[in-house]
Amino acid sequence: MSMRGLTVFIADLRNCRARELEEKRVNKELANIRSKFKDPQLSGRQKKKYVCKLLYMYILGWDVDFGHMEAVNLLSSPKYSEKQIGYLAVTLMISESNELVRLVVNSMRRDLEDHVEIHQCLALQAIANISAREMAEALSTDVMRLLTSGQTKSFVKKKAALCLLRLFRRHPDLIPMKEWSEKLLVGMEDFDLGVTLAITSLVLAVAQSHPEAIAGCVPRAISRMHKIVLEKSYPADYVYYKVPIPWLQVKFLRLLQYYPPPEDSTQRGRLMTIIQTIVKNSQDIPKNVQHNNAQNAILFEAINLAIHVDPQSDVVVQASALLGRFISSKETNIRYLGLETMAHLAGFAESVATVKKHQETIIASLKDKDISVRRRALDLLYSMCDTSNARVIVSELLQYLAVADYAIREEMVLKIAILTEKFATDFKWYVDVILQLVAIAGDNVSDEVWYRVVQIVTNNEDLQEYAARTVLTALKSPTCHETALKVGGYILGEYGHLIANSAGCSPSEQFMALHSKFGMCATPTRALLLSTYLKFLNVFPEIRDQVVAVFKQYRFVLDVELQQRACEYLAIATQSSDELLQVTCEEMPPFPQRESALLSRLHSKTQDTEDKRTWQIGGADANKENLTAAAAAARRQSRRRSALETPQPSSQQQQQQDELLNLSDDVPAQQPQQQHQHPLAHQLHEQQAQDSAQAAKIAYARLVREPNGVLHEDANIQIGLKTEYHGALGRVAVFFGNKSTATISELTTEMVAGDGVRVTLLQPIAASVPPATQLHQMYNVECLAPTELHATLKISFSAQDHQSAGSWGTQQQQQQQRTHSTLELRVPIVPTKFLTPAPLSRNDFVARWTQIGGPPREAQIVAAAGTGLTDLDALRGVVEGLGASVLRDFEDAVVAAAVWNSTAAAGKVGCLMRIEYNVAQRMFRLTLRSTSEQVTAVLADQLREIVETL
Amino acid sequence: MLSAFFIFNVKGEVLISRIYRPDIKRSVADIFRIQVVSSTDVRSPITTLGSMSFFHVRHENIYLVGVTKINANAALVFEFLYKVAGLGRSYFGKFDEDAVKSNFTLIYELLDEICDFGFPQNTEAETLKLYITTEGVRSERNMAEEGARIAIQATGAVAWRRPDIKYRKNEAFLDVVESVNLLMSAKGTILRADVSGQVLMRAYLSGMPECKFGLNDKVLLEKEGKLGSATSTVPGGGRKSAGAVELDDCQFHQCVKLGNYERDRTINFIPPDGECELMKYRTTENINLPFRVQAVVKEISKNRMEFKVSVRSNFTSKNFAQNVVLKIPVPTNTSGVKCAVTAGKAKYVGSENSIIWKISRFQGQQDYMLSAEAELTSTTAKKVWSRPPISMDFQVLMFTASGLMVRFLKIFEKSNYPSVKWVRYMTKPGTYQIRF
Repeated sequence: MSMRGLTVFIADLRNCRARELEEKRVNKELANIRSKFKDPQLSGRQKKKYVCKLLYMYILGWDVDFGHMEAVNLLSSPKYSEKQIGYLAVTLMISESNELVRLVVNSMRRDLEDHVEIHQCLALQAIANISAREMAEALSTDVMRLLTSGQTKSFVKKKAALCLLRLFRRHPDLIPMKEWSEKLLVGMEDFDLGVTLAITSLVLAVAQSHPEAIAGCVPRAISRMHKIVLEKSYPADYVYYKVPIPWLQVKFLRLLQYYPPPEDSTQRGRLMTIIQTIVKNSQDIPKNVQHNNAQNAILFEAINLAIHVDPQSDVVVQASALLGRFISSKETNIRYLGLETMAHLAGFAESVATVKKHQETIIASLKDKDISVRRRALDLLYSMCDTSNARVIVSELLQYLAVADYAIREEMVLKIAILTEKFATDFKWYVDVILQLVAIAGDNVSDEVWYRVVQIVTNNEDLQEYAARTVLTALKSPTCHETALKVGGYILGEYGHLIANSAGCSPSEQFMALHSKFGMCATPTRALLLSTYLKFLNVFPEIRDQVVAVFKQYRFVLDVELQQRACEYLAIATQSSDELLQVTCEEMPPFPQRESALLSRLHSKTQDTEDKRTWQIGGADANKENLTAAAAAARRQSRRRSALETPQPSSQQQQQQDELLNLSDDVPAQQPQQQHQHPLAHQLHEQQAQDSAQAAKIAYARLVREPNGVLHEDANIQIGLKTEYHGALGRVAVFFGNKSTATISELTTEMVAGDGVRVTLLQPIAASVPPATQLHQMYNVECLAPTELHATLKISFSAQDHQSAGSWGTQQQQQQQRTHSTLELRVPIVPTKFLTPAPLSRNDFVARWTQIGGPPREAQIVAAAGTGLTDLDALRGVVEGLGASVLRDFEDAVVAAAVWNSTAAAGKVGCLMRIEYNVAQRMFRLTLRSTSEQVTAVLADQLREIVETL
Repeated sequence: MLSAFFIFNVKGEVLISRIYRPDIKRSVADIFRIQVVSSTDVRSPITTLGSMSFFHVRHENIYLVGVTKINANAALVFEFLYKVAGLGRSYFGKFDEDAVKSNFTLIYELLDEICDFGFPQNTEAETLKLYITTEGVRSERNMAEEGARIAIQATGAVAWRRPDIKYRKNEAFLDVVESVNLLMSAKGTILRADVSGQVLMRAYLSGMPECKFGLNDKVLLEKEGKLGSATSTVPGGGRKSAGAVELDDCQFHQCVKLGNYERDRTINFIPPDGECELMKYRTTENINLPFRVQAVVKEISKNRMEFKVSVRSNFTSKNFAQNVVLKIPVPTNTSGVKCAVTAGKAKYVGSENSIIWKISRFQGQQDYMLSAEAELTSTTAKKVWSRPPISMDFQVLMFTASGLMVRFLKIFEKSNYPSVKWVRYMTKPGTYQIRF
């Protein structure tokens, strides 16, 4: 049935020569449609025609702000053509945040339940396209039912799987994939390869976020691959340029890479045979481009899988020979893939040797005309580098750095810096390389790189003299990058005195070398140089006049930082005794061991945009842990760490390397006299604070469940709680224990409670706690209302500063300080504390349960349980500990009854709860009913928190 | 000066491209097409892109574009562009895309003649027509004689008129055409009102006639001391007792002797043969608005709106206006309008989103009313209607909004023949808008 009106309208618009004419025509049509839509008796065909016209205007970019309702009405039309236009309009014009989404959900559900497949398809497509949150909430189960039902036609199944995939990607929290995983796994065995392909895409997405939930896919993937590759049983329809269903094969191979290699030897054997066959089949390069692409897609994925399963197998050796051919291929894409896969291969110590054979070709690829190939070559070089070839690779990289694109320079600098540090057999080489690096690509050298140099020099005494000499030579050259100046300034300041007696390195020459560049650099560098001058003043009294002149000059500079430094340094310099100067300019102590900032910086750059990578660039040790770790998340974390901590077993310079690797990543101190602001100390502080915050959380969670325990503990003080509750009343004793050797003084406490609870102090506490003693104070607690039921304890005291004493080595220990600390601790005065048991029989419980009824007096929460929860009995113990009486005659769930007490308005409230726990999936469902809506909400929340933190 | 001259059609295709200086490439035409013709938001006549400035004028359905790389005098460039348009009109009658396409060799010939290395030359159509013709080449015998004549005229004092014109009946027509611009607020206060007028002359006079022309210009009248005694009736019977008009600025055709005008504000000239625009002027004081419009709009409910518009003519009842059209905007979600009017016809036009009310003849001192009810559909986007102003179109004969009138037109010729002189007045709107 053609729509003449529509074709005429489109022809009219196309014939409009100017925009104004088009606008006129559009306005006319809009007015016409508005007047037509006034008629409630408009036939479906008419509606369809006008919605089509509106759509055409809409996609031309005109504002269409009506007609949505007519489009929605079309959804419920029995005719396919009208329904189709309705869906088209809905997907185009309704965005996911539109209110109309709610209106269409019902029609969509009806179509999903309809037995006409084409209607189901329309609805599925629309759901996937809009994928609004409400749709995911309301329709995901229907979509899943379509996917798993036996009656569904396979083309609908395909669409359903893809629709679910889209919903899962957009709203992973709403799709209970874990519960559905079994059904999905069954779907993977569908006889229709198309359906399998669609479902495998979905499984692949699930495997990336919940690998353990869907672990059953591994044997299925292997057996299906076996069927396709070895038994060659597949319908002829799915052969693409002589390759059987390459998309499915690639998906299976990739899926297997998300799991550890199968333990079972027969499975493993089958897998290896599959890979072997694939590699064997790919020995010759087909002429046809499509055929070639399909074959290569499978081959590369198979090689990746082979490396993942066993990097030492024969297949991998065969594959690496193939890869060698690929990286010198004429096709850019093949070169790219070859290099990438080789980088994967180089990620395993055992196979680096095979990669090394191609070193020449890889270095040549650095000069490839395609930048993405150059990047991959850089990654590969970075991965394959070890002590034996580090010098060659680093010198090649340095050479290339001079001509490299700006886009990859920064990455190159980082990688060179890491490689030099990691594989340095000779510190002099290290210093030389870094200085060269600064000279070649000074602008791209990030601060982390030079911080790292300073740390390494500081921690290696043998290196200090050489470093000082080298930087001085570098500084004397007329062109010298600012970063070099920073390194030079710091190193000469610290170790300039070591070379002061050699020719050409006299104090005044050192000073002049730095000061000649002073005028040309930025403020932070100048500040650093001022500190260097102060250090000179300490060790070289002979240049005192020059230095003091500079300080005097900078007393009046506009920049606050420089001015302050100049004034302070001048004051120190002009003091009558040199004692303060000597103390402040003590040599820097070695830096504590810390992870390299360079690596973390490098890793922060690699972010996932597509399917998660199954391996990581970064050499053998980066991937080592990878093999054993099962959970993907944990795997990523540990891999980063292992890159730092696992030493190279083959290295002869193990001792030295350990030192190199275990350096701190922090900013070197520029102002040793400002200890309390020292960045290093500050960092330490922060880290400890983080650790203690974690500990505090755990302590709090335990105290919510139990009456007594420790609330807070640090180096100085331990704070404990003892509590007793009777109905709505309670008593809390807070204990303060002094763990340090000095007295804790100026102790003040304050309990701040919400409106729902009244806290009164019974017994106050003394202001100071002597060493190794414990004092306590008492509070009365009264529960008033279910809302705003919380309390915070604010404590302030002063104690000996442990942190700065610990990190500052021997010289500073005599200068211990007292620091003033304040703590804000959540006190576990929570709604569940005011529960008293209410023993009920099974029948009574059921009667009351139904009497209270559903929402709003009922709350239901589904969430993941904490890792500490093992089985239902443990949960029963916890619930009993909270003060509820557990009904033992319910076997499958924890069922309990309790009375919640308060003294004021709310009074006593009976509450009934039921907690179901799925041990396998670690999920629990909590249903709570009480006679008060408020109490229901508050208690359910609190219980959820308790179970989650178990 | 000009580096190049282009003519584009509305689609941005180059119809004519003449490069005057080697400092630009032909490809700059593409820049203009992309940046100006295809772009919807550029509406400035001057677009500077990089080191190049594009000056454009839209005439009929073509763009006339001048390109320069230096800081050229913009007024000069625009004058040149308008001259080209005028030349086109006088050569082809209508200067549009079709005319350009069918006469492009002639246009190149003209462009070569009127501009040299970017500097404008003689652009007078009368002169150019002598040697750039649409006919074929004439015989050589005439050429010498003809050439001498052309040389005299092209270099002589009166380039715009041939000396040997003869008419049996000597006539001169003067048309005063004014366009009045108005913007009135919803409360009836005048936010902006001005008149820009032109005096057009059609002369069918023999020989070399010297004309003298007088207006009720305030400065001139004051000078002549006639201001107090001037009792002449202003055309249209306006209320000006003084009967003098203060002109903010005037612009004359090149035939007017500006020296005389500067000295004693008399307008002396030898008119070109046929039609010409003798002068242009502008005034902002004491404007007689031909129509008063009042509009009341009520939103009765969410999907109903009521319009009441009344319009009154403000000129004497002897005169009348023709083709009066009121365009009353309605909300964009209008689905239908019911109108009732006391005169003329009114209907809702969807393509303009407005009610169009047409009154073909509107006598002076009359009141007409329109009442309409618009039905609105509900929309998804809750946009507030911006209420664009009501606009008007009309033609009032024998009425000038500024009050200007021609006091006399004298013609002197050596042979002293009698001549017949006609004067007409007309007022039409520029943008005549009333907010509500």
